[in-house]
Amino acid sequence: MNTIIVNEELCNGCKTCFKACFIDIIKWDDKAKKPVIAYPEECVQCMYCEINCPERAIKVHPKYDSYLFPRENLV
Amino acid sequence: MTEPMTTDVLVVGGSIAGLATAITAKEKDPALDVTIVEKYTSGYSGKANRGAGIMLILGESTPEEFAQFYLKHIGLYLNDQITLLKYAGMLNGNADAIEKWSGKIDKDDNGKFRSLKWASKPVGKGADGKPIFDQNVPYPWTLVAVELDYVREVRKYARKLGVKFIDRTGMVDLLTDGGKVAGIVGYDIDSGAQRVFGAKAVILACGNQCYRVMPMWSPARGEGVAAAFRAGARFANCEYGSFYNWTFLDNFESEMGVEYALYNDKGDNIGLPTIKEVHPDINAESLAEWYKHTVAGNGPIHYREADNPLVSYTHSMLASQDFYNRPYADRFWGYLFFNAFSQLTNDHIVPGLVGEFGGLWVDENMATTIPGLFGAGDLVVHGSRAWGATAQPGRHRGSGIAFATFSGRVAGPSAAEYAAGAKLLDQSAEQIEAIDKRFTAPLKSVGSMKPMEMVAEIQKVMQPVGNSLYRREDRMKKALARVDELKALLPQVKAADPHQMFGVNECAAALLCAEMFFKTSLERKESLGWFLREDYPEPSKAGLEWIIAENKDGQVALSKERVPLETYPYKP
Repeated sequence: MNTIIVNEELCNGCKTCFKACFIDIIKWDDKAKKPVIAYPEECVQCMYCEINCPERAIKVHPKYDSYLFPRENLV
Repeated sequence: MTEPMTTDVLVVGGSIAGLATAITAKEKDPALDVTIVEKYTSGYSGKANRGAGIMLILGESTPEEFAQFYLKHIGLYLNDQITLLKYAGMLNGNADAIEKWSGKIDKDDNGKFRSLKWASKPVGKGADGKPIFDQNVPYPWTLVAVELDYVREVRKYARKLGVKFIDRTGMVDLLTDGGKVAGIVGYDIDSGAQRVFGAKAVILACGNQCYRVMPMWSPARGEGVAAAFRAGARFANCEYGSFYNWTFLDNFESEMGVEYALYNDKGDNIGLPTIKEVHPDINAESLAEWYKHTVAGNGPIHYREADNPLVSYTHSMLASQDFYNRPYADRFWGYLFFNAFSQLTNDHIVPGLVGEFGGLWVDENMATTIPGLFGAGDLVVHGSRAWGATAQPGRHRGSGIAFATFSGRVAGPSAAEYAAGAKLLDQSAEQIEAIDKRFTAPLKSVGSMKPMEMVAEIQKVMQPVGNSLYRREDRMKKALARVDELKALLPQVKAADPHQMFGVNECAAALLCAEMFFKTSLERKESLGWFLREDYPEPSKAGLEWIIAENKDGQVALSKERVPLETYPYKP
């Protein structure tokens, strides 16, 4: 599973990471004005949240041996 | 029942195909109310901003030269030549349109679009350190590059024009009235609240089906395909919806030109013998060789990069600042490649299932067989039959954005014209209730299967090269039987929240796509272009036919339609 870390000190609540996610991994906590990494097990490391964060407050560490890389079904 | 929101033209999907559709619909008739409904956030969603960002244009070639090359070497005359010629004729205009909407096409010092022909040969470096290419190659097209944040700029352009946006709302089904489109039913992906829309015309531009195998194609989950099928639309060329790309086993990142440098474990080059004199791009035959050698025990199969003549070209074109000037794209690819290749441990290469199943049938105006329903983008690539006997990206790289923009620029004005002469139909309470029952059922399921467990089961059927690329009757029948078993298991998949409700709906769509794919594949008893059969290795002598799939009482019904070559300008 990929690891997604949010630095809540740096995060300015701009919602860019939430908008940037193209498969609904990141939800939004309206009260705290912070992202919620709700489904990290489905993250496909497109890196859009990290690249677009204006405060560099989010980081994705991909794991290439997760179940999202099904290597048993190739033939 | 939720009170419906109404609009004249409703576009499902807010990536480049949907935006191109909405903009051109609004430009055609500014009096029309045009709304985009997007599952995630328009401008960020979809595949168009996470790919190579290269777009094919004609350059100095003519549409006729392009079409003739395409028919002979790629589409093998299984094309609708009217749509192919329309596509060719609009290629250069796609670049002008995207530049107008976003200002994000890379330009040289004179303000001209910087372009580079496919497979050009690097011959040195200029005084500025940039590579110089010999562009004397036999392909009648060239490639421009968009900066990868361009879709957000296009969204801003659309908004200024008066296009309305409703984000975080996923469409799950179409509404019809007397056989005509009447609107859609969607749900808020965060709260799960139902949203009903009435519209005079609906355009599906929400992507195709990629089965979630390749990471960057993950959002393409086929809900538009499934909704159109349930509403009674027609499909064509579904059996071509299985694109495989060469990918590294370690990280599933793709590479081009691997077929030149493909070796079995004995050290034989197994790709070169499959390459014909004119080789526009990856061929299905080399992927089939991977399968044959792996089954014969000659694996693992290796990729020797030093033998790939395209490496300096592709790396210069795609992945660095060498040729095009795209700082944002460089950053995107820099992150991706650093992550992926810093963890590479070997040279094992495998066919990675991309999928790209987009068989919704449309005519040359991007109209489906349901009055008021249109299609654009990946969803209709195969169904338009413009590309013929090939999988998307059609063995011509840079065609994804090109086709999305082209089909949007056609669908927008077509839908606007239709909407201007149509009235708003009834949104049937009975249909809305049935859709709600189907979509929310997983919340009440007594089963314990998770949506991602079902995704893994579907991948086991779709991913094997022996099932979906190098096909044979017995293997496909077995795959189809498994698809039926999984369909029967679907009610056991439990959802705990809106995200998972969508997950189950996506699985249902994937299973329907799989069923259409295998049924149409069994019907095509030949090998033609991208479509390979181990048990029928030659093209059929019966002539060129499209396989048509339709919904008859909820079942996939098949028929054949002869390609009307006598009415087309070019003959085999």
